[in-house]
Amino acid sequence: MNEMRTSVPSEAAQLPVLTHFLQEFWSAASLPPAQLMSFELALEEIFMNVVMHGSPSGALPRVEISLVLAGGAVILTVEDNGPEFDPLTLPPPDVNANLVDRPIGGLGVFLVREMMDAVSYHRVGSCNQLRMSKHVEGPEARAG
Amino acid sequence: MKITFETHAGTTLMIPEGRLDFGAAPEFQRQIGKALAGVQAAPAGLVVDCTALDYVSSAGLRVFLLAAQSARRAGVAFALCALQPRVREVFDLSGFGRMMTVHADRATALAQAPEPLP
Repeated sequence: MNEMRTSVPSEAAQLPVLTHFLQEFWSAASLPPAQLMSFELALEEIFMNVVMHGSPSGALPRVEISLVLAGGAVILTVEDNGPEFDPLTLPPPDVNANLVDRPIGGLGVFLVREMMDAVSYHRVGSCNQLRMSKHVEGPEARAG
Repeated sequence: MKITFETHAGTTLMIPEGRLDFGAAPEFQRQIGKALAGVQAAPAGLVVDCTALDYVSSAGLRVFLLAAQSARRAGVAFALCALQPRVREVFDLSGFGRMMTVHADRATALAQAPEPLP
């Protein structure tokens, strides 16, 4: 299994559906469980970002998720037809702040950037496209 | 997410099991708030034992931060212990591992927790 694709409305209730979809891909591709959490986190953070910030009044955007295993890396792409928004422009949080001064929030996208090898944003037609990739270990992570 | 509580010599142990994601965060926040309110009556502390916590996202980190800040304001000892490696990584990347008291295991956390007044 080298490629899987699904599409859901951008609502919080879909998060377990997407997590399950990712887990299915992971086991179908026989990838190491130890590296699954980075992708679960990336998927949750980016999807919830679209849910929270990408839904102006009116129609609910659609979110399309694709997972590809190629060249020893997993590539996760999250695409939505909501208003143009590049989450990579968000300022990073101050990870050295002390407990009292530490503001709430701003962590999600930061964690994704830290945990993935590469993250890029493109506006494609009327869609936001966020592409994340990370090398995966193990004999099964063969070139796709 | 299943959450159980134990009390050890005045210290409340909160033991969450499973995934602390966006969906689980509101209930976890409610429970941790209730636990903190409970220990505020006594000069003791709250320790969250993360042995069975398999996953945490920024939604979960947010709850830990709010709880730690609220404990600080109330003068209540607050600590975490026994983080799984993958959860530990999220804490370390976000700086939370340095900002909060995190013990290696439950025994260490309980040994460090303040004794209740006689």
